[in-house]
Amino acid sequence: MEHPKDERASPGPQPDLSFGERLYLREAIKGMGVLAKHFWTNLFGFRDPAPEVLDRKGPGVNLVSTISYPDERKPYPPGYRGMHRLVPRVDGTPRCVACYMCATACPAQCIYIEAGEYEDQAIEKYPVRFEIDELRCIVCGFCVEACPKDAIRMDTGTHAPAVLSRPLAVFDKQALMQGPAVEHPSDVLTYRVPLRTPAPREPLGPGVTSKGDAGH
Amino acid sequence: MAEVTTPVARLASEDFGPKIPPKPVYSTWLRQSVLGWGAFAGFLLAMSWLFLALTRLIIGIGEQIPVSWGLSPAIGTILSLIVVLVMITATLLTMADRKWSALMQDRVGPNRARFSIIPGLRDKPLKGIPHIVADVLKMLFKEDFIPEGAVPNRFLFNLAPLLAFAPAFMLFAVVPVSPEVTFFGARFQLQVARVDWGMLYVFALASIAVFGTALAGWTSNNKLALLGGLRASAQLVSYEVTLGLTLVGAFIVFGSLRLDTMALLQGMTEPGLRAAAAFANRAGDFLARDDSLLFGWLPSWGGVFQPVGMILFLVAAQAEIKRAPFDTPEGESEIIGYFLEYSGLKSGMFYIAEYAETVVIAGIVTTIFLGGYHIPWLEPTIVRTTEGWLGASGIAWLAVLQVFTFILKMLAIIWVMFVVRWAFPRFRYDQIMRLGWKMMLPISLANVALTGAVFLWAGRDGVAWMGIIEWIAFLFFIGFSARAQPSAEPGSHSSTVVEH
Repeated sequence: MEHPKDERASPGPQPDLSFGERLYLREAIKGMGVLAKHFWTNLFGFRDPAPEVLDRKGPGVNLVSTISYPDERKPYPPGYRGMHRLVPRVDGTPRCVACYMCATACPAQCIYIEAGEYEDQAIEKYPVRFEIDELRCIVCGFCVEACPKDAIRMDTGTHAPAVLSRPLAVFDKQALMQGPAVEHPSDVLTYRVPLRTPAPREPLGPGVTSKGDAGH
Repeated sequence: MAEVTTPVARLASEDFGPKIPPKPVYSTWLRQSVLGWGAFAGFLLAMSWLFLALTRLIIGIGEQIPVSWGLSPAIGTILSLIVVLVMITATLLTMADRKWSALMQDRVGPNRARFSIIPGLRDKPLKGIPHIVADVLKMLFKEDFIPEGAVPNRFLFNLAPLLAFAPAFMLFAVVPVSPEVTFFGARFQLQVARVDWGMLYVFALASIAVFGTALAGWTSNNKLALLGGLRASAQLVSYEVTLGLTLVGAFIVFGSLRLDTMALLQGMTEPGLRAAAAFANRAGDFLARDDSLLFGWLPSWGGVFQPVGMILFLVAAQAEIKRAPFDTPEGESEIIGYFLEYSGLKSGMFYIAEYAETVVIAGIVTTIFLGGYHIPWLEPTIVRTTEGWLGASGIAWLAVLQVFTFILKMLAIIWVMFVVRWAFPRFRYDQIMRLGWKMMLPISLANVALTGAVFLWAGRDGVAWMGIIEWIAFLFFIGFSARAQPSAEPGSHSSTVVEH
């Protein structure tokens, strides 16, 4: 009597195995050879730490493609929306004119601005306090799009750092003023030549600018 | 930019921008590699000298004590070989196993522990060596927990790790690491016990290791541990048969059970070395002639005479020390193993015992099959060249190099055993039994019969020829039994796919 075929049973060895493969010895030694090759390649191979080289090839090159994160970092792709920065002018003051457009555009309402006034410059306003709560920020980039003065950017290429307490995640003006200064040709109109224009007293609505596109 | 004052600002400034480490220059890497490997070789050489020197020192101390017990060579070799060589190698192997497996699998391996309290080593991973210290500290400070079910058998429960731990180290007592040599005026050999029953002692102690695992599984009062203990007992008892029979061929060839005699017979003896060096000096040759070579060119190692014995012994030894692919007693992914209920240092003893057994087995394989401490072809030349360096004889310098060679060979065998461990999946229990009883036992019996017959018929040279033929056949089989090309037309197993 023939037993019914048990579907759970092991399929057993493939019928087309050669004698050498059935004997297991040769395949076993081949497998050890693979491991040995990787071992010696990685032991003596040149460790190329360039993080962009993920698929390492070539003789004498280490095959380990691990990036030890805090010590080695892979650059983010261009266009990555990293941590915010307040762009400084060449004289070190922030480009921000405290127009509240970023704060208004922010869907997460994570930007807090307090405006102050310069005494004798063509630019009348500057942020006394400019804080971004990085825990609330959803990294959408709307603030960057909304800014008329190219004063806030997300081009740092890094993300908000890990913090041990919530207050530390609220980045103040000094923390946000990072990176190289930015100057546009049209800036001359605003701060080299003193222009006497009355400053708007109340915050402007979204999408409304008091002057033309100063940046870009 | 304004100076950074607030904590938030400091945080931001520290983390600003992607930090991409500079690409190291190839020449720097090459220099560091050469320096590192040179330092490693130098360290091993220095340790080889230290083993001899430490033993000599203890012997010297023993001579100063008015009541001489005659134990000082034994104490010296126990200190230098078992406490230093085996213990430290086994400890380092716990990390080497993790690091080497990482290298084989294209990983980095453990590298986060640091000796942060030592100023110069704050940010140095040191190839993971701090992890050893961390592991030991962790085991030391863990609770020594005895499960409720093990309380009635508390004595046996505590005895089991010792029974697993002690034989592993005692096994090394019969392994000769250097020839008998005159070193700083004293004549001694780096071998704890020079006894006639050398290999019998190895087999006897190997079977005592069964008690450790069986007791651990039994007294834990845990069904998984019991299962592990049962498997270990059955496996160890089965493979001891093969373990013994594979070496009978070597006994026939060398005519001795003493490991030091076996090692001695695989190279030149001291009078022969002196004669060959003196002859080369007179003739003005740089290369002195090595008389021990078979047919004038082949090192007379046990592996040449007994390829089948060597391979089977390695496999059986791997099963005997319960390492993968024979690790069903442990089987960490199915049953946790016979040491399931152990914690802290007792668990650590099982762990270290496994690696110590690896070292010992590698030492035994080196001694019997890889020529022991002998350096092939070059020994008389080394004696001739180093004669009189720093006031020491060439024989003494050769002894240092021989200890170094022994350690290198041992490391090579350990490496092979680790490759085996990481290359193979765990065998099923029935597969282990089938391999042991139905394949390895008949092959080893046939090897004994064949070796005996050839030895009677054609003597030692005949056995050497048999070994060479076996090696060639083996390599030919490995190299040329290529996989049969699968047939293109749908076979029996592909038709099932069609049905789906």
